[in-house]
Amino acid sequence: MCKMYTINNAYLCKKYTLTKKILKKVRKRLRKLRNCYIITYDCINILKSNPNTMRKFLRLITVPLLLLGLIANAQSRTIKGQVVSATDGKVVAGATITVNGSKVAGISSEDGSFAINASGTVTLSVSSVGYTKKSVSVPASQNTIRVALNEESSQLNEIVVTGYTAQKKKEITGAVSVVNVKDMVSVPAGTAEQMLQGQASGLTIIGSGSPGEGSNVFVRGVTSFGNTAPLVIVDGVQSAPGDLSLLHDLSASDIESVQVLKDAQAAIYGARGSAGVIIVTTKKGHGKASITYESYYGTQMVKQGNVWNKLDPQGMADLYFLAAKNTLQTDANGNVTSAQYGTGTKPVLPDYLLAGGVSGIHGTSSATDLSLYNNNYNKGSIYLIVPANKNGTDWYHSLFNNAPMTSQTVTATGGSDKSSYLFSLNYLDQQGTLLNTYLKRYAARINTTFNVKNNIRIGENLYVYYKDNPKIGNNQEGNAVNQTAWMQPIIPLYDAGGGFGGTAGKELGNSGSPLAGQTRAKNNKNNDYMIEGNVFAEIDFLKHFTAKTVFGGQVDNYYGYYQNYRSYENAENGASDGFGEYSGNNIYYNFTNTLSYNNIFKQDHSVKAMVGYEILNVTNRQVGGSRVNYFSDDPNYVSLNTGSPIGQNNYDSYNHTTGTSILAKIDYAFKEKYLLGLNGRRDGSSVFGPETRFGNFGSVSAGWLISNEDFFKNVKFINNLKIRGSYGILGSISNVGATNQYTLYGGSGGSSYYDLNGTSSSTVMGFAATTLGNLKTGWEKDVITDFGFDGSILNNKLDVSFDWYKKAINGLLFQDQSAAVVGVGATLPQVNIGDMQNTGIDIGLTYHDKINKDWSYRVGLNFGAYKSLIVNIPGAAGFFETAYTHNTGPQVRDAIGQPVGMFYGYKIAGIYQNAQDVANSPTEQDAAPGRFKYVDINHDGKIDDKDRTFLGNPNPTFTTGLNLSISYKRFDVSTVLYASIGNKIFNYTRYFQDFYPQFQNSKSIPVLTQSWRPADYSQPRANWTAANPGATYPIAENASYFSTNGVINDFYQEDGSYVRVKQLSIGYTIEPAILKKYGIEKARIYLQGANLFTFTKYSGLDPEVGGSAASFGVDYGNYPPSKTINFGVSLTF
Amino acid sequence: MKQINFKYLLPMIMSFLVVLYACDKSYLEVPAHGALSQDVLANKIGVEALLVGAYSLLDGEGSSAGTANGPWATSSSNWVYETVAGGEAHKGSDPGDQNLITPIEQWNTTASNSYLDQLWQQRYDGVQRANETLRVMKLAKDMTPADVAQVSAEARFLRGHYHFDLLKVFGNVPFIDETITYTANNFLVANDGSAMSKVEADFLFAYNNLPATQPNVGRANKWAAAAYLAKVYMFEKKFAEARALYTTIIANGTTSLGVKYSLVPKFGDVFDPAKKNSPEDVFSVQMTANDGTGAANANNGDGLNFPYGGETSCCGFDQPSFTLANRFEVNSNGLPFLDNSYVYLKSDMGKSATDAFTPDSTTPMDPRVDWTVGRRGVPFLDWGIMPGSSWVRNQAAAGPYEPLKHLFRKSEEGTYTDGSSWTNGFTANNYHLIRFADVLLMAAEAEIQGGGTVAQAMTYVNQVRSRAANPAGFVGPANNAGLVSPTKYSIGLYTASTFTATNALTAIYFERELELAMEGHRFSDLVRWGTAKAELDAYANAEAAQGYLSMGGVTFTTGRSEYLPIPQTEIDKSQQGGKSVLTQNKGY
Repeated sequence: MCKMYTINNAYLCKKYTLTKKILKKVRKRLRKLRNCYIITYDCINILKSNPNTMRKFLRLITVPLLLLGLIANAQSRTIKGQVVSATDGKVVAGATITVNGSKVAGISSEDGSFAINASGTVTLSVSSVGYTKKSVSVPASQNTIRVALNEESSQLNEIVVTGYTAQKKKEITGAVSVVNVKDMVSVPAGTAEQMLQGQASGLTIIGSGSPGEGSNVFVRGVTSFGNTAPLVIVDGVQSAPGDLSLLHDLSASDIESVQVLKDAQAAIYGARGSAGVIIVTTKKGHGKASITYESYYGTQMVKQGNVWNKLDPQGMADLYFLAAKNTLQTDANGNVTSAQYGTGTKPVLPDYLLAGGVSGIHGTSSATDLSLYNNNYNKGSIYLIVPANKNGTDWYHSLFNNAPMTSQTVTATGGSDKSSYLFSLNYLDQQGTLLNTYLKRYAARINTTFNVKNNIRIGENLYVYYKDNPKIGNNQEGNAVNQTAWMQPIIPLYDAGGGFGGTAGKELGNSGSPLAGQTRAKNNKNNDYMIEGNVFAEIDFLKHFTAKTVFGGQVDNYYGYYQNYRSYENAENGASDGFGEYSGNNIYYNFTNTLSYNNIFKQDHSVKAMVGYEILNVTNRQVGGSRVNYFSDDPNYVSLNTGSPIGQNNYDSYNHTTGTSILAKIDYAFKEKYLLGLNGRRDGSSVFGPETRFGNFGSVSAGWLISNEDFFKNVKFINNLKIRGSYGILGSISNVGATNQYTLYGGSGGSSYYDLNGTSSSTVMGFAATTLGNLKTGWEKDVITDFGFDGSILNNKLDVSFDWYKKAINGLLFQDQSAAVVGVGATLPQVNIGDMQNTGIDIGLTYHDKINKDWSYRVGLNFGAYKSLIVNIPGAAGFFETAYTHNTGPQVRDAIGQPVGMFYGYKIAGIYQNAQDVANSPTEQDAAPGRFKYVDINHDGKIDDKDRTFLGNPNPTFTTGLNLSISYKRFDVSTVLYASIGNKIFNYTRYFQDFYPQFQNSKSIPVLTQSWRPADYSQPRANWTAANPGATYPIAENASYFSTNGVINDFYQEDGSYVRVKQLSIGYTIEPAILKKYGIEKARIYLQGANLFTFTKYSGLDPEVGGSAASFGVDYGNYPPSKTINFGVSLTF
Repeated sequence: MKQINFKYLLPMIMSFLVVLYACDKSYLEVPAHGALSQDVLANKIGVEALLVGAYSLLDGEGSSAGTANGPWATSSSNWVYETVAGGEAHKGSDPGDQNLITPIEQWNTTASNSYLDQLWQQRYDGVQRANETLRVMKLAKDMTPADVAQVSAEARFLRGHYHFDLLKVFGNVPFIDETITYTANNFLVANDGSAMSKVEADFLFAYNNLPATQPNVGRANKWAAAAYLAKVYMFEKKFAEARALYTTIIANGTTSLGVKYSLVPKFGDVFDPAKKNSPEDVFSVQMTANDGTGAANANNGDGLNFPYGGETSCCGFDQPSFTLANRFEVNSNGLPFLDNSYVYLKSDMGKSATDAFTPDSTTPMDPRVDWTVGRRGVPFLDWGIMPGSSWVRNQAAAGPYEPLKHLFRKSEEGTYTDGSSWTNGFTANNYHLIRFADVLLMAAEAEIQGGGTVAQAMTYVNQVRSRAANPAGFVGPANNAGLVSPTKYSIGLYTASTFTATNALTAIYFERELELAMEGHRFSDLVRWGTAKAELDAYANAEAAQGYLSMGGVTFTTGRSEYLPIPQTEIDKSQQGGKSVLTQNKGY
């Protein structure tokens, strides 16, 4: 069907451009022959010297064959074959096949196939960019061959997008982490940033198990007290400032490449670059049409056992009596009185916790007559009958259950020299292990490109998804996770009348029933309809110039509603039912126009230059409302119209910011040895006043490819070595409000209206200053210095990348921390006073080797360590406090001279053992045997607030990710490990669990078993001595003291280090021959586990605890990630 | 040629578009949405609206200032700093709940307690709202001198109030006038002890410039300013000035609507939101419910101070003390035990709601007790008979009694309570900043201290007692949904023999507690009188003996506990050249 031709004319190769016009005419006629050519070795060499020519030549190669009559018939024997990648079996197009010892050569076509003329036994050399050259011997008897090329060990030729343009990795002068996408997407997660954890050095990601929940993403540490989100760019579309949603909801199968720009080179993004840049490219179509189906299905498994280490009902009862004795609440006979456990020396578990208004019924009583039961406010007074669950209710596992997770993707791709397309559909359904939380996402992507003319390319990338993602307020005190800890085990899930069991009744705490809360939340919605993408056009002209225009952005329409029920089962019930609804849109676009110039002068001087102009526009709009007091709680009935207009609430918000930028960059290389990069950008933003509206940013970077020097040629064990450095000024505006420059007045019913007329139900309109403007606030100037090297050693098997950096955030935009007498009800402006500094190192290592033809393996290691330092903070105090809780005030102090996010409070020296101990210690409020003895930090003999100190650092000493893959014949095994070492966690859940007087909630076992006890109750309180001097918990008492839990102290602090096996999978690629008859080209099946093992000393549910940038690592009740087992299949048709 | 044209056309169009866009300077000029500029407000109506905004912080919340721990730290009633610290009530609830109140209750807090920051922030936010009114007023062109005088007077009344609230708690705070702004960067103002006299000047200005009647009942009028000025005089111990002013107020004072000040006939009606803004209200903070703000203008500061577990909602804070409950005992003349010889009646402490309990019906008591202290076995408004510990979260941490004065009646639920939030405790019940009974009792003090007569003082006290003695106002079937009170009520008037020059002050002080208990005046009264140490140490002992755990071993430190420490963060933020302009109070 396809005749073979040989081109064997150097003249043609050189001069073909001259004949282009003629060729064009015949080209149409010869289209069928496109894949059937053979060219000589000489010709290839000529063409190779000029890559541009090569490309065009290949496009036109079919043409000259007949026209010039230079075609010879194929020789006696034709070897047909196919070139594939040894790693994944994908076809390799454009590989050069030469017959050793002759000048005959060929190039593999787009389906990887080639045909080459030879006679007798020959050795073929097959090479292709990115693969190791391979020689295969073909005996005379063999006419077909399949050549599997190994990916070249060095990644130096990889093309990396480094800001508006792309470079080969070896030419990069900046610090760029190139993510191994295969490793990344091997992690089954609902969000792309979770997959990125541990995949790039210098990138810290803290997520949670809550489906669809955002993660903390820090590039090279926390560099702001506010938003630290890096700039995300997907196919040239930039995220709105501080917004990670472009990355968050990417479908894993669409991701082609991910790069993280970490250093000053990101200055090409000017005011948006300082928090780092994550550049994602999605897949484009190429080659022959193919359809891929990828699917996995699995189960997320919850932690088993007594996860909160709770006491059982009898233990709680014993503890109640112990605390009463410790608090001297016994009568003359030593009896303790409890509403639930009766009066006596020993507690007796009740049969009913509550019946009507009576708590703690032992046996039966007339009050427990079920006919009295009523849990419906519409039917009269509430009358509950709640039996005690003496066996203990496992609240955690009533809410957290194994949950399925599945992802189904179909991708169709194809391409020709005229156009390419990729169309993908993805359905992700991650059910949360917590009842009624889930992420369902339906996504479609269409990426197309068209070569309109030889020099004009147009295309678009479009991603559309709809997601349905009800969540809980993760890591917030009192959320459903927290409540599973708070609920006493004696409380049943359901009461005698079939209603929810809860804390109504005496001595049962004040938690809401999480089962009731999450069950009632089942109709709540939180939906997003997102359209994102871009259109672009690119024109080559005047040989060396390319103009490109890109218009891209996001349209996020979100919508949700929630229904509140009037609860009856809790100690604290809401006053009414209610319904609220909200919707809004976030519209963001950027319009980028660039003109680039590429040329090589006199062989040695490579110049790539680019200038550009860009505008951005962000609007956020939201409306919402709520009503209360519904006639019926039927979800089909409640709407904003059907509630009572009395007490209705509505609101809206609108923000608009704009920006313009001009940008330029130049990359220069001399003899492929000396590299220099310069870039600059001038940004204008509407968030600043006229005086400071524009800011200039820029960077310089340089590299030296030492290994290309002649003197280095003899150093055999180093294959490549480049040292590089960069320095630049970048910025960040994520934390500046849209109206920062203005002093504004306004108000709302709640904040500034007042009932001057004494109506009790309506107010007179009033205003107040709402924001204090600052016209002087300007750009944050973040100076980033980076030195590093990239190298390949051991015969290109080991790639090493190392960076040392210093990120000095100067003029950090942060809210002024002025004295409150200025009236801090008006929002103080963001000012440029804070300074922060992170210094650190990033290391990336990749080692890969093939032991023999069956065994090969690859190890990738990413390591990042940084030291955070706050250099300055706005306001005279030099610190600000954050992470407030209702009960004990702030837990975190960000202060000059300290790392960001330090926990702050009293240090515990021990537990007072006796009166002598109290007397010998510094004066301390409420000091008594059994209570905490604090450290007298300032040695003034008394413990007061001057003795508070920095307790611990939530920043890890280092984080590291290890990716390991091994393949044996058709089997492959891979794993991803992640470790965060040296970070402290402030486990605030212990406030409720580990101190007896906290809300009579469920308590942990050590409160009973390891708390300090007096040896002899008959002694006066002050003279008590320890019955158990080694006690690690303070005495269980019914009152709260400065010297127990009245203040923040380091009892809560724990080592948060952990090592996690994020992913472990074993796969098998089925023999293609077997599949062929089913029309399947390739099939791989795999079994995978995620989060299989976590090694940590942390006592909470899970050590991966996020938070805000100014306070993270405080565990208020974090939705833990789950162990997941998946079965997956990947088919290509 | 054709092709070349095309090659250049697109880039040219692109560049052209871009340049067009870029040249449009207004692209980077984005106006603020949903907000007003100063120009729009610099006129009579705008200034009036800013004044309303300054009033709106009277309810203790409404701006972002001082909200970190919720509105409790900044309540209008100052219940944490006055009622709880003053020994009228226990913090209550559960020991660990709002733990930051405990050291304040024990007169031993540190300057880092974030409750203090919040109070400071909220009140100074009020100060600056008043100042902003004055500042923008100066820019308005359409205001007559009379308008200016009136607005200035109201704004300075409010500024005086917010400062005075801080002075009561902190003793020595900086006075922030309208020249002090963030923009001018002159806000590091020392607390040099001059604030009280400046507050006095503000109230004096308000008194001299405000009209006697106002179009709205909630506005301060001349007489409200007079009463506040007189109160400031009392704190400054300018008793003669106070006495003169009180005499004028009592003779001529009217509400903003022009109704002459008087005591409403029934004591309980004072605290009924349905009967708010009576002739007894000299100045009250107006609270609303169901105004569409999600209860933001309700009395949120007292929102935790409701029985726990009953239908009145939540959280068991601010529960009356044993001492307060028993101070209502009266002798055979129906007069209080001025020598504190009252006995502690048996209470429900330590008893389950199912245990039998018979309320005391033999000890005669001042009828105001059952409008002030919810006791087991006694009608609790129209909610039924107070059932005992099933309405108490944790007796050991709260005691057996319930607060009452800021509650709402069951029949008022939904009308004076706001259902749009998590608790019914967000009510439209006003806070009585100054009511006429308060004026009368202060006037009585001023009579004794400021050169007046014992007889006149007694007249004032008896005026207050007479109203309390109105049987139509007793807790019982007529006022409490048909419920019968078991309490034996008795209240008599003082006579010349029982109200003497020797005991007059003691009697007035005692009366002040009985009449104004739980209304947020007690602690600063004790400090003002110089009786804090004696009263509060005795109180601590008594409460501890009754089983209230938080008072065990607690004492009042003279020379320190009178005032709370200036918030440490504010001291830190007020540094100039390494030294703070704020001086910390003695002992901290």
